[in-house]
Amino acid sequence: MNIMHATIMDTALEALVQESKAHKSVYTDQRVFELEMERIWGKSWIYIGHISQVPETGDYVSLEFANMPVLLVRDQTDVVQVLHNRCGHKGAKLVGKPCGKNGRFVCPYHGWTYKLDGQLVGVPHMAGYDGTAFDKAAPEYSMQKIRTETHRGFVFATLNEEAVDLKAWLGPAAITIDNLCDRAPEGDVEVAGGTLKFSHDCNWKLFTENLNDTMHPMVVHRSVVDAANQYISTLPEDSQNRTEAEIIPPFGASYEKFEASGIVGFPYGHHFDGGKTSIHANYSVDPDYKAAMLTAYGEQRTREILGYNSHNTLYYPSVTFKSAIQNIRIVRPIAANKTIIETVSFRLKGAPDSMLQKTLLYSRLINSNGSMVGADDLAVYLRVQQGLRSGGSDWVEFHRNHGSDKDLGDRLSNVGTSDLDVRTQFRAWKHYMVGAKL
Amino acid sequence: MSNDLWEIEQFLYQEASLLDRNDLDAWVNLYTDDGTYWMPVTPEQEDPINHISLFYDDRTIMEIRRRNMKHPRAASKEHPIRSSHIIANVRVLDEGQGSITVTSNFHCVMYAAGEQTLYAGTYTHGLVHAESSFKISSKRVDIINCDAALGAILTYI
Repeated sequence: MNIMHATIMDTALEALVQESKAHKSVYTDQRVFELEMERIWGKSWIYIGHISQVPETGDYVSLEFANMPVLLVRDQTDVVQVLHNRCGHKGAKLVGKPCGKNGRFVCPYHGWTYKLDGQLVGVPHMAGYDGTAFDKAAPEYSMQKIRTETHRGFVFATLNEEAVDLKAWLGPAAITIDNLCDRAPEGDVEVAGGTLKFSHDCNWKLFTENLNDTMHPMVVHRSVVDAANQYISTLPEDSQNRTEAEIIPPFGASYEKFEASGIVGFPYGHHFDGGKTSIHANYSVDPDYKAAMLTAYGEQRTREILGYNSHNTLYYPSVTFKSAIQNIRIVRPIAANKTIIETVSFRLKGAPDSMLQKTLLYSRLINSNGSMVGADDLAVYLRVQQGLRSGGSDWVEFHRNHGSDKDLGDRLSNVGTSDLDVRTQFRAWKHYMVGAKL
Repeated sequence: MSNDLWEIEQFLYQEASLLDRNDLDAWVNLYTDDGTYWMPVTPEQEDPINHISLFYDDRTIMEIRRRNMKHPRAASKEHPIRSSHIIANVRVLDEGQGSITVTSNFHCVMYAAGEQTLYAGTYTHGLVHAESSFKISSKRVDIINCDAALGAILTYI
């Protein structure tokens, strides 16, 4: 809990988000941001990493969780843990390296030593504590464990002891994680090919709201799509250069095409666009990969797996998956107007190397700091952040197709160009922030 | 044949001046048809294919990038991109049959949309002889903070 922030009354918070509009302060006000960290990022399940990042005992990854330093570690009993990266003594961040392998965690300040599961085992010159209230065995002096669960190797953690279990929280939206794993002939994936870290000068929600914003690509990405099409038109039909260039034009798909792709929203703020089809649907399939899939799954199941084509699936609020591309983007909010987006790629076990190479090509062209696509997204997020300083209006609207969301029992559905995605996120926002019904 | 360091330096300065003016049409023509521009995302990265990079452009992407740069609708290119490159410590590392590997240090200050950004690091140029000058068969740009959370890198450095 952050005792520094000025409290905003729940009634005032509740008024900031209405059915189809939100007050600009949810994007700009640092006090709202602090409350989001505590109530959304502190109550929801948050993406931590994948077990392939810590394959052996002692392997660890240091990362930020809801703006706090934590460790993903495989402990001495082979259990994957998420621990607060903080010494129980004076609070120093215990581990400084981004990743590595340790037998113990030793604090760089006074040398307190912890087992891999966080238990305090060593305090130098212990005699000074004799006769004091300090008890080395008291849990409060150990590294604190965070509630952790995995789904098919993907590790999530929550600070909320009362949260529903991960399976219930993911609900039917788990289909995209499952599809990513099923796309591997061996049914399993591993992190591969390095990480991109992209600093965005905008509120985290501008990124998550853009994922299924299908009304922006034809405007924001028109320049790069035109450039790609102009170049493609200069190439002979059989040119090798076409394959790479053709990754880009689907970003300029028509309103009608995006409308037909559909959006579905789930409880807890998850949603995806596509399913049967998406802008990734027409990318060619590597014949060696297809053969490996047919051997592993047979004709019908292969068709089902490769036929599932969502575009972006958001697991609100912290991660978005592209199963057809085999990459994810992790959201790390820093401040009301600053967010870091990390892109991580996956190798499909049992697939030819060309599949990972294709994933990395996509990540580089679309998600990297040097991407022509990403740069224009970032430019418009910044414009929103700048425009919201205006006193011209206090509201941001998301009415598109409001009132026609179809209730399918476990999910809501609407056309792909609807604002169902934004409404789905804000319904969860209200649930976490002020306890509104899901 | 031995290459005059002066000629090599003049060529690198010429390339830098095209980047200073953000004249990608002329810049692309300094590259061979199979030339590449690589900016790794980790120090001492060995592989541009099986590991992610900030840039790994072949001719295809260079051709798209130079067209995109001039497109009136690119939100990120709405403001002019100005830069100033300083190149120093130029050394010829390897002189093989028809190809030369040259390393240098660079500072590039880039300014766009009210923001000034400093990039610094090492260039590794693969050069081949072409007519009276050179062409670039590969350019590797190692910026010293390649693994930091950087913003958008709007054009070639």
